[in-house]
Amino acid sequence: MTVQERDQAAQDERPQIPSTNGVAGNSDADNEILISEIADIVPEDGHIFGKREVRVTRKSVSVFDASGVQLLTVPMLEIKSARTESLVGGSRLELTTTSGIMPIAEFTASVAPRFSEMARGIEQLAKGEDFAIKLAYEKTRCEKCGRLLPEKDGRCPACVKRLTVLKRIFGYMGPYRKAAILSLTATSLTAISSTFLTPYLTRYITDSVLTNAGSRTMAENLPRLTFAIGGMLFALLLGVCLQFLRSSNSIYMSSNIAKDLRASVYRALEHLQLSFYDKKQLGAIISRVTQDTDRVWGFLVDGLPYLVSMPLTLIGGLGAGLFLSWKLTLAILLPVPFVALVTTTIWKPLSQRYHRVGAKWGRLHTQLNESLNGIRVVKAFVQEKGEWSKFETRNNDLAEAGMTADKFWIRAENTVGLLVGLGPLINWGYGGYLMLTGEITLGTVMAMQILLWQVYGPLQWFGQLNNWFSRAMAGAERIFEVIDAQPEGYDKKDAVVMPNMRGDVTFDNVRFGYDKSNPVLKGIDLDVKAGEMIGLVGKSGAGKSTTINLLCRFYESDAGSLKVDGVDVKDIALEDLRRHIGIVLQEPFLFNGTIADNIRYGKPDATLEDVMEAARAACCHDFIVAKPDGYDTQVGEKGGKLSGGEKQRVSIARAILHNPRILILDEATSSVDVETEKKIQVAIGNLTKGRTTFAIAHRLSTLRNADRLVVIDKGKIAEVGTHEELIAQKGIFYSLVETQKQTSKAIAEARSDIAIEEEG
Amino acid sequence: MDTAVLEKPEAKADEVAKAAPDFPQTQEFVTPKISRMEMLKLFYKPEGTLRLTIERNPEGWENFSYPTVKLYQAAPLSSPGRYIVLHDGKGEEITMSDHIDQFSPDSRAIAEDEIRRRYLTAKIQSVTSIKVEFGITYWTVLTDKGERDFVVQSLTESCIWLSDRHLLIIDVDGNRFEILDRFILDETSRTNLALVL
Ligand SMILES: Nc1ncnc2c1ncn2[C@@H]1O[C@H](COP(=O)(O)OP(=O)(O)OP(=O)(O)O)[C@@H](O)[C@H]1O
Ligand SMILES: [Mg+2]
Repeated sequence: MTVQERDQAAQDERPQIPSTNGVAGNSDADNEILISEIADIVPEDGHIFGKREVRVTRKSVSVFDASGVQLLTVPMLEIKSARTESLVGGSRLELTTTSGIMPIAEFTASVAPRFSEMARGIEQLAKGEDFAIKLAYEKTRCEKCGRLLPEKDGRCPACVKRLTVLKRIFGYMGPYRKAAILSLTATSLTAISSTFLTPYLTRYITDSVLTNAGSRTMAENLPRLTFAIGGMLFALLLGVCLQFLRSSNSIYMSSNIAKDLRASVYRALEHLQLSFYDKKQLGAIISRVTQDTDRVWGFLVDGLPYLVSMPLTLIGGLGAGLFLSWKLTLAILLPVPFVALVTTTIWKPLSQRYHRVGAKWGRLHTQLNESLNGIRVVKAFVQEKGEWSKFETRNNDLAEAGMTADKFWIRAENTVGLLVGLGPLINWGYGGYLMLTGEITLGTVMAMQILLWQVYGPLQWFGQLNNWFSRAMAGAERIFEVIDAQPEGYDKKDAVVMPNMRGDVTFDNVRFGYDKSNPVLKGIDLDVKAGEMIGLVGKSGAGKSTTINLLCRFYESDAGSLKVDGVDVKDIALEDLRRHIGIVLQEPFLFNGTIADNIRYGKPDATLEDVMEAARAACCHDFIVAKPDGYDTQVGEKGGKLSGGEKQRVSIARAILHNPRILILDEATSSVDVETEKKIQVAIGNLTKGRTTFAIAHRLSTLRNADRLVVIDKGKIAEVGTHEELIAQKGIFYSLVETQKQTSKAIAEARSDIAIEEEG
Repeated sequence: MDTAVLEKPEAKADEVAKAAPDFPQTQEFVTPKISRMEMLKLFYKPEGTLRLTIERNPEGWENFSYPTVKLYQAAPLSSPGRYIVLHDGKGEEITMSDHIDQFSPDSRAIAEDEIRRRYLTAKIQSVTSIKVEFGITYWTVLTDKGERDFVVQSLTESCIWLSDRHLLIIDVDGNRFEILDRFILDETSRTNLALVL
């Protein structure tokens, strides 16, 4: 597909619903185009990029090629169902018709979510249901500049006004206005004093004190000298004072702004939806809290004063110079345009090179993080050498990239140095000539020399300024991306507060996919009464944990409704919802700290008695007290010092202490031996009375207390019923039970064989 | 759904294990084996639905037909065209062919088409331009599937180095682009790439 075609496709995205008076007779609602989407792959010629349009009316589904020729039409009456087959990097729309499965269109991941909605729509039409689909009209291109957007409906980074971003950055200076003003004033005063006071005093001491001193008496000379030295002392004191004022204020500002920035990013991260974390590497997110905030405050604290003082110094210097000698000033300024040219032209390649260094740092960081986190696996598989060689490659790459960038920088710096060095040369040469012709005095030349350093000095930083600025902007972009990202609805205004909860849970045709083009749950219907214990079973990857994730609202369903006590979970105040849910996650996670702290994580004010009570229920009391430090045992990062089953039991205790109305146990006892599991079950059995419980387990014996078992298969509920009912049905559950029986029988037989052998 | 019942390969493996109880010198993993790959006949019927018939089985079986078959490459990035796995309607393995060449010419053509259909990863032939703004990269590339523009949010996260020369780039929508060998691209493409990698 050419760029133009793609643009066209983007523009054509809205469904082309013809104006009603355009359709012949106006009565023909059947021919009204309900949905029309552009598929961007053509199946012929080896599935290349191209354009196909799929139109859905009440009567049919048809496909048109790029020039509008109809290729295919399927009457709605013949359609039994519609689905998208997910491919690698895209999907295919398929219809099941009376004569078999029929492929309709192929498309990339860019439009796949829209087609999966279309499939839903077609199915509704085919079944004669109400036509109701959610087609979000996401922008894929920026309306202003036409650039592709990095996120659908996202902001165009090129068009985000830099000024707006700057304003937001400055917003962080708000609370420290006084310090900022003081610091900037000090900076400006320094600029003025250095461009006027010092050069003029230098000229005075040269021309009026030291030159022709012999023609004046000592009595005449001494006061002059004293005056000049006094002036210089004053300038020195003033400079030091201003410097102190500036530094102390900027230290105060930098610490506070850095703190505020980190706090606001962290707060935003905490409230972000989990799907944000699915897409990003943790290391990259952490660097937003640390490095990106550094860049922003670095700019505010170092860049900004420079931005203020540099023009002042330049203008002041120019003014002072013109006063001293306009001819000499102009001559000295000769290299300035070249300096400016060099510093601006090198900036882009330079920043690209440093960007590369940043990327290499990232790769090294990831490698380091990974190999140390997985140090047990590394050692177990004797892969120290392999990890070392990976590290070495990346380490070398980093060094190489750093060297390239630094070399480039040094070359540029030296060029600038050369140009800047020409300044004094011109001053001595041309200034000396002017002095010899008597046009100016030695004092003027000396004053010029001082001025020169004051003006050229900051000019060398001119390139750096751009660098500061762009780094800060990039950092700010990433920070604001986090801050602006859609948070979970913590403080939704019209949220339903639920101080108490019964625990009725209703799933009504709930659909969900982590990746919108690849549904995981395809319509879950389930009605759970308060206090019921539901056992969820199904193959690995069937969607059990996903179902639970939706109940906790870690993710939001794409369609259908999920209600607790008759209220949609999306409308319940999030904190209330989660306060009433206790969950033991499939992968138990403990925090660095004592066991007691971990158990009382959800209820920090719980007494040690409460903690022990919960621990007893989770059958972990005994092993905890046997530890040298008992409940005060430090468990280390991620609970590293506990065994798998111990960790699980501690996290069960944590959930129990939380005292939830809805208890979720996702493979909570999978690493616990059968005997302990039984004990936990009895304890939990007492606890779960009156609580709605969802228990997921592969070991089916775990679920023997469940009131009902729900078998999830391929994203749908395949079977529901009590243990006996499902056995009688002889369906999926039955075969699962049979398989497990056989396995345990085999084990039992093997055991008895061994026993016999031992006896014999 | 599937009418075919192939002999359970595990059973054979069990027998082997009983016959030779010693610790195996070479590990024999259980891969369903069909002695001659030419016996497999892949075809589309109706159009767009992949089917498989196993013909003239030497052990005297009837021809088997699988009404729905899925074809996968076990390692599409590192070994394209090799380790072709066929799954039946239940998602269980029918067999694996070590190399696409092992199929008969007709079936091979079908297998190739099926691979192109399922793996939409476009192979980049040249990089017309790359623009970097605030760490986001805008690409215009020519691929084996035609020209395409795409955006990558963060190259550090979305560019996967399969080897020193072989790259996989995943754009913001989840589309995949592959650079088979970054050193054999033309001069312009290489310079463009060098700026961002
Ligand atoms: N965060 C995620 N992002 C993308 N896909 C995911 C994510 N989590 C799970 N999946 C996919 O969703 C599907 C369902 O996963 P889920 O965790 O619900 O399975 P499960 O039934 O709990 O399996 P198990 O018994 O192994 O825990 C799987 O195919 C899995 O690969
Ligand atoms: Mg799970």
